[in-house]
Amino acid sequence: MAETHHPDYKKIYVTLLILLVISVAGPFLGVFWITLITAFGIALVKATLVVQNFMHLKWEKDIMKWMLGTSVVLMLLLFAGVAPDVMKHEGTRWVNLSAQAAIARGIPDEGHAEEAEHEEGARPTDAEGLMAAADGQEFDPAAAYAQVCAACHGAEGGGDGIAGQALDPKPANFKDSAFWEARPDSVVLKAIREGGPAVGKSPLMAPWGSLYDETQARAIVEYLKTFKSAG
Amino acid sequence: MQKPIATTRSATGIPTGRLAIWWVIASEVVIFGGLLASYLMHRLGHPEWASAAAHTNTWIGAFNTFVLLSSSFTAVLAHQAAEQGDGKTAARYLLATTGGALTFLVVKGFEWANEISHGYTITSNGFWSFYYTAAGLHAAHVIAGAIIMLFIARDAAKNLELQRVELIGIYWHFVDVVWIFLFPLLYIAK
Repeated sequence: MAETHHPDYKKIYVTLLILLVISVAGPFLGVFWITLITAFGIALVKATLVVQNFMHLKWEKDIMKWMLGTSVVLMLLLFAGVAPDVMKHEGTRWVNLSAQAAIARGIPDEGHAEEAEHEEGARPTDAEGLMAAADGQEFDPAAAYAQVCAACHGAEGGGDGIAGQALDPKPANFKDSAFWEARPDSVVLKAIREGGPAVGKSPLMAPWGSLYDETQARAIVEYLKTFKSAG
Repeated sequence: MQKPIATTRSATGIPTGRLAIWWVIASEVVIFGGLLASYLMHRLGHPEWASAAAHTNTWIGAFNTFVLLSSSFTAVLAHQAAEQGDGKTAARYLLATTGGALTFLVVKGFEWANEISHGYTITSNGFWSFYYTAAGLHAAHVIAGAIIMLFIARDAAKNLELQRVELIGIYWHFVDVVWIFLFPLLYIAK
């Protein structure tokens, strides 16, 4: 404890609080790049203030700055090495089907992707709509199907939804009476709640048990059968 | 009194105890950094996460940021008091910092209880998985820091091992810095 460097901590603390207010206020302007600066630019400034003055890195031996710098560089290396694979969902000879399916489940109508970025609860297809369904309030299997299943299984249940085009194996075709003859309702119910692998089918069929309880899933199965008679 | 290794020997010119805490933090940078970098790349690659992120409460996040910044402030005042040899004041400031930690955890508890009761759990989707993992790992650090701080405050009040006040402070500020980044990542970016 040889050093006795003590800047005006109160001034730094007040500066940090002012920066906090700015970072909260930023998004209210509704301008994307301003939010980016007020959120992440200010986070960097706040972190620097804390690290330099509160942690006293400013007065620390250089070797320690190099050591911490190395950790930060390793983190950036991880990002640079992995991010291209995670952020892109298709390349020249590969397609990340599960990522595309996840996006399709989250945003069935691609045209609304922009809105979803900025507006909360703008569409019944977002998480809020799904949660309302999960709460069991006026559960409508047709609406649930349209929100969750249709992207892959198709609006008419023919297994021909937009997001299902690239999937292999193809999503189940509920119009096909052979589909219904080949398995009892309990298997379809299990696939809905626990996912494809639970019934020995494709893992691209995700488990939806966290959204739909057994009664609701049963209602969905009954709804799926209406496609059969329609087809 | 013969002082322990923690305050004396050091090839780097840094007291050994402080060198150790810096090593802890260097490894923590990689732990949290890896987690947050993964979150960031998934968030950028998955536009559908925005609708999940819209359900986090910015005001609660902002309040907890305020709490942690304040607790960092009291932690550094404890460090200053300890360097002036005033263990009693240092202990008082450390207790105030622990109070900040408890406030943070209580707020977090209510926040999580509310979110879970609305059906947003760690298995809901990718966003919520990262949300609970990152904030949970951070909360575990808050709990650990608060417990260690109580032990250090007990000794500091008797003017013992005052160098530890700075060490727990460095750790605590790091926990604060992690939250400074978690706040915009989980609460502001909608």
